[in-house]
Amino acid sequence: MPEAKSSGHTPVALELSEETRGRLAELRALSEKAEAGDKGARKELRRMVLSSSEEVIGRASDVGRKAVRTLAHTAAGGDPLTEEALYAKLDLMRAEIAGENPTPLEVLLTERVVSLWMLTTLLETLLATQYRRNVGDGPERLSPSYLIQQSRILESATKRYLAAIKELARVRKLQAMAPVRVNTQVNVLGG
Amino acid sequence: MAEIAAENDRAKRELAEAQREREKEELGRLEALAAPVLQISDSAEILAHAHLVAAGYHRRKGEYRRARG
Repeated sequence: MPEAKSSGHTPVALELSEETRGRLAELRALSEKAEAGDKGARKELRRMVLSSSEEVIGRASDVGRKAVRTLAHTAAGGDPLTEEALYAKLDLMRAEIAGENPTPLEVLLTERVVSLWMLTTLLETLLATQYRRNVGDGPERLSPSYLIQQSRILESATKRYLAAIKELARVRKLQAMAPVRVNTQVNVLGG
Repeated sequence: MAEIAAENDRAKRELAEAQREREKEELGRLEALAAPVLQISDSAEILAHAHLVAAGYHRRKGEYRRARG
């Protein structure tokens, strides 16, 4: 399991457990069956969404928060003030995006938007620094293939970031019309 | 003279190889940094989709519509 050091130098797990991944796979398979018209699968999916998505959402949100802290720690480059400023910015973003009384799913989708924002910001900064370093003919000059691959990683993250914003808006709109209640307590500002 | 040229080529090849290795490691680090975020992003996508399908929606050409009945 990949581990990263948090700002407090405590190793934190940055991967969903096998059990959680198994439940996600079940949810995906049931969703596909239900969409194909299997009424039994839709009923089972509804039951599973009510019974187990609570835990899965909680765990995914938790891992998401830890992952975003690791990114912020990396982006700060060892400067504690920058790191704290980034955490404050991330908390502000979470509160603004999640709004008042978010559902647990909205909290997770908010964490997704925030973490992808942090990732794209970090990648953009790294790429900009490397482009600047590449001016001239010095020994530190990076190969075009490396810069292209890094640009692709950034492009993929940016696409996901924009899709995540769209998805949150869509879920809000559609759930308002047909809500599925899942009673989970998730701390929006939890670190 | 030929020996010097060969030595020069060998040194250049070694430098290029070392740079390729460094770049490969750097890309690996970037991918490892992005991996947890991408995993959470995919998980959120699955959960959002499951919630909407459970609520009676189905996805057609990327758009959700209310299932009949």
